[in-house]
Amino acid sequence: MKYLLFLLLFLLILGVVGVASNPSPGFAALSLVMVAGSGCSLLAGQGGYFLALILFLIYLGGMLVVFAYSVAFTGSDYVEGWGTRRISLAAAGYLLLVWGGGVVLSTNLNEEFWTVGASFGEFMSLEYSLVGVAHLYMGGGWLLVAGAWALLLVLLAVLELVRGASRGAVRVV
Amino acid sequence: MSPYMLIILIFTLGLGTLITLSSSHWLIAWMGLELNTFAILPLMAQQHSPRAMEATIKYFIIQTTAATMLLFASVSNAWLSGQWEIQQMSHPTPLALITIALALKLGLAPMHAWFPEVLQGLNFSTGLILSTWQKLAPFSLLLQIPPTSSFLLITLGFISVLMGGWGGLNQTQLRKILGYSSIAHLGWMILIMQYAPPLTLLALTVYIVLTSSMFLTFLYNQATNINSLAISWTKTPMLTALTPLVLLSLGGLPPLTGFLPKWAILQELTKQGLTPVAALTALSALLSLYFYLRLSYATALTTPPNNLPATLPWRIIFKQPTTFLAVLITMSLSLLPLSPSVMAFFTF
Repeated sequence: MKYLLFLLLFLLILGVVGVASNPSPGFAALSLVMVAGSGCSLLAGQGGYFLALILFLIYLGGMLVVFAYSVAFTGSDYVEGWGTRRISLAAAGYLLLVWGGGVVLSTNLNEEFWTVGASFGEFMSLEYSLVGVAHLYMGGGWLLVAGAWALLLVLLAVLELVRGASRGAVRVV
Repeated sequence: MSPYMLIILIFTLGLGTLITLSSSHWLIAWMGLELNTFAILPLMAQQHSPRAMEATIKYFIIQTTAATMLLFASVSNAWLSGQWEIQQMSHPTPLALITIALALKLGLAPMHAWFPEVLQGLNFSTGLILSTWQKLAPFSLLLQIPPTSSFLLITLGFISVLMGGWGGLNQTQLRKILGYSSIAHLGWMILIMQYAPPLTLLALTVYIVLTSSMFLTFLYNQATNINSLAISWTKTPMLTALTPLVLLSLGGLPPLTGFLPKWAILQELTKQGLTPVAALTALSALLSLYFYLRLSYATALTTPPNNLPATLPWRIIFKQPTTFLAVLITMSLSLLPLSPSVMAFFTF
């Protein structure tokens, strides 16, 4: 179990360094997938399975996909990644920073100091995402309808703003 | 724009304001404000010119910044006090942040720079909605929050009156002039808010009547700058005779309606012991009066050089209905004798 945890944390940090050091948005998005995958596995291992599931669905499956499509329009000829010396040096520098920060900030390396959910003083809260969503659909009532109307309106407003001779951009003429 | 789209957007504008006006929870109030922001964006971009798109994007960025500040302050308040009630805010920092966020939403100085430029990019009807309807929801929130730092509100109010007057002095475009006049009037409203909230509502209502008259007058005359205003006397002599009076009412001169809110506000300020503030604000209102006078001068008090055929548009029958404009102008000129009942209307 410790080895699995170590592997996931290692992939997490490596992915974060990849997001920070890659100038090409395609490679950065790929590293982001690695971050999300390992982070969600960590989260699920600690009991936050619902949040991990929702993150995969909405973040990776919705937002990242839209980002990737937008980025695909801006393809460049000479893409630099970890192969070039400049970027690999930057990535190594970030890794050094993380390692140094870990050494500085860690006092007792044998203590377990994380959980899912936040407790602050007397406000105890555990993993309540699933219950929260159920409450939203159960007790929201007409407000839920108003919220859904707001989402629909934003879609219609965006469609209206890009309607024109050629759809796809904010129309200026 | 397709009529289905138009009706959805106008319905949502009404829904958003109604949600904010009737909310007691900060998240619901924020939702109403966001609905208003998004619903008006396609209306602003109707003209599809680069200037209109620029105005739309500027408006969007400013409004979402203000809404994000509002959300941050309300979440901080929920963290600090444990509840989300609008009227039960207890900590001074979120209160101050919410006041500043709502001031940014309204266009109060010193967060006013976006308002005249955004107004300049719109046609008159959309500008009218922006100046009147979009002010209702933030004001309802400002009126409900508990008293905050009085220095903040007085500063916002006085600087707005000053900047509204000062900034409008150098303008020839009518929409920018109306924008600066809006900033000045909002300053008057904020000034009195912590002492007598009914007077804020009175000032808001009178301002809405007055500015609607001006927007509709300019829409009828199709006048966008002072030069086109100067030759618009040929279109409707009746409107030309009334426009200077409406402008002087905006400037706050008795015996017109615009005098009523200023009078009541100055009286209340002196009763509260803020006579220097009252005097300085009244003097700053003179700056606005100057450019209202300049507009009435151009409209009716002088006749610019013109040739004979150009003085005949009044012979053509205009198809635009003027019933609403007539009602608004009547209200903006003659409500002062009814002051006691008008003020009683707002005292609750």
